[in-house]
Amino acid sequence: MATTLEEQHLRAPSAEEQRLRAQQRRETQRRWFWRIAGYVTVLGVWELVSGWVLAESLLPGPTRIVRTFPEIVNSGRFFLSFGATLTRIGIGFGLAFIGGAVVGMLAQSRWFSNFFRDAVTIGLTSPGLIWALMGLVIWGFKPQGWIFAIFLATFAIVTVNVAEGIRALPKDLLDMAKAFGTPTLRRQREIVIPHLAPYLFTALRFGFSNGWKITVLTEVFSSNKGIGFEMRVSSQLFQLDVFFTWVLSFFVFALILEKLILQKAERRFFRWREDVSVA
Amino acid sequence: MAKIAVRDLRKEFGVGDERVVALENVNLHVEGHVFVSVVGPSGCGKSTLLNILSGIETPSSGTVEITQDEEDAHPGYVFQSSRLLPWRTVMDNLLFVQRNPSSKEARERCQRYLDMVHLGDKGDKYPGELSGGMQQRVGIARAFCIEPDVLFMDEPFSHLDAITARSLRRQLHEMWVETKKTVLFVTHDVGEAVELSNRIMVFAQGGRLIDDITVDLPFPRDPSQDEVAVAKAHVLRKFEELDLVAT
Repeated sequence: MATTLEEQHLRAPSAEEQRLRAQQRRETQRRWFWRIAGYVTVLGVWELVSGWVLAESLLPGPTRIVRTFPEIVNSGRFFLSFGATLTRIGIGFGLAFIGGAVVGMLAQSRWFSNFFRDAVTIGLTSPGLIWALMGLVIWGFKPQGWIFAIFLATFAIVTVNVAEGIRALPKDLLDMAKAFGTPTLRRQREIVIPHLAPYLFTALRFGFSNGWKITVLTEVFSSNKGIGFEMRVSSQLFQLDVFFTWVLSFFVFALILEKLILQKAERRFFRWREDVSVA
Repeated sequence: MAKIAVRDLRKEFGVGDERVVALENVNLHVEGHVFVSVVGPSGCGKSTLLNILSGIETPSSGTVEITQDEEDAHPGYVFQSSRLLPWRTVMDNLLFVQRNPSSKEARERCQRYLDMVHLGDKGDKYPGELSGGMQQRVGIARAFCIEPDVLFMDEPFSHLDAITARSLRRQLHEMWVETKKTVLFVTHDVGEAVELSNRIMVFAQGGRLIDDITVDLPFPRDPSQDEVAVAKAHVLRKFEELDLVAT
């Protein structure tokens, strides 16, 4: 019978397994080597350029930033600003996520998909700067301005991903559930939502990274707090070490979010999928 | 006793002038512990018939009645591909079709049928971790684990290699004997139909039921037995008479 063959295959000789594992280990080590080498090179070049090519006051080196960072944290502004920025993303992108998901689901209908088609294309292609400026002109420093900008800059991304997921709904599985007479609610929960999950994840990822950029932009223009605001003030006061510290914190935060939080969650959700790409 | 009664069934697809008739004037009556195969060339409407019986499609006209002791019957399905939820484990896939998935009885029942298809220890695997043959066995267990009154199967072994298909046919036959279900089995493989069924219904292009053959041979049947080969030749001859092979 077929099983015995398969089971024999599962009980593969351990020598072969060990060889494979060692190979994987070497692979991981090599990957990490190049990754770290990338960091060392960039930081090294930066440190050299600072002072040698450009004056240290114009381009403070990494060591300088390491010294400035605790000062900002101690002043209390660090968490305050990050908190303010994250709140803005949370509100603006949160609304866009809900709105985009609803429109994406409506796109199942031919009429609605035509209704929204060009709006979505425009939303995808236009730079967020347009919306940030418009928000500033119309609402000034009021929250409507940045909500408007973040919403418009991220909404289309969510819409497109959800619409794509809806278009690819697994008809064979839904038919199967229908034939077995499973209740509608269970069908939604066990088929539609798990099917849409990867699309929602992509929407979350790209939407967040876009929302992040536009949020900082709105803060540069029209805010008295947040990371973007801190960047503006420090650059205007010519405190470039402070400026670069904010920039770098921004990079580090985005990396942590992507690598530690989003990727972990993704791996947890998609355990059933063996081919989940892990960057 | 389970009963399938189809009267004057007609199904057409398409809109306006571009209509395709998939089933025309189909009448059939199946009752009790029988294994009925529906055979015919591709495009003869066999799968449409099954889709209508399973409620995935609605008939253009005619009636379909699937009853168990005069009440609405509870059917189970096995599809051409396994149609398992890839994001749920094997056990959860079986629980998915249960009336009350959280009950202890449901879980025990699912386990029993997993054991029956020899996958008792694979309950916590994901479908992607199993071979095609194993996935199809899970599909069969899923159909049986709701303890259906009738069982509809749509070319369940056509995607599998010959050896796996053969062993699954044997398992299916044993399960049919053990559970005494009414089975309607769609296939294009005449040999398979002769090996498994009491009755073979032959469909022709255009969705017409053209013959209803009773196969009165003892089980288990083996393709190498003379009687089985003769019966298979008989059905194939029917096909030739009607010039079905050419189409």
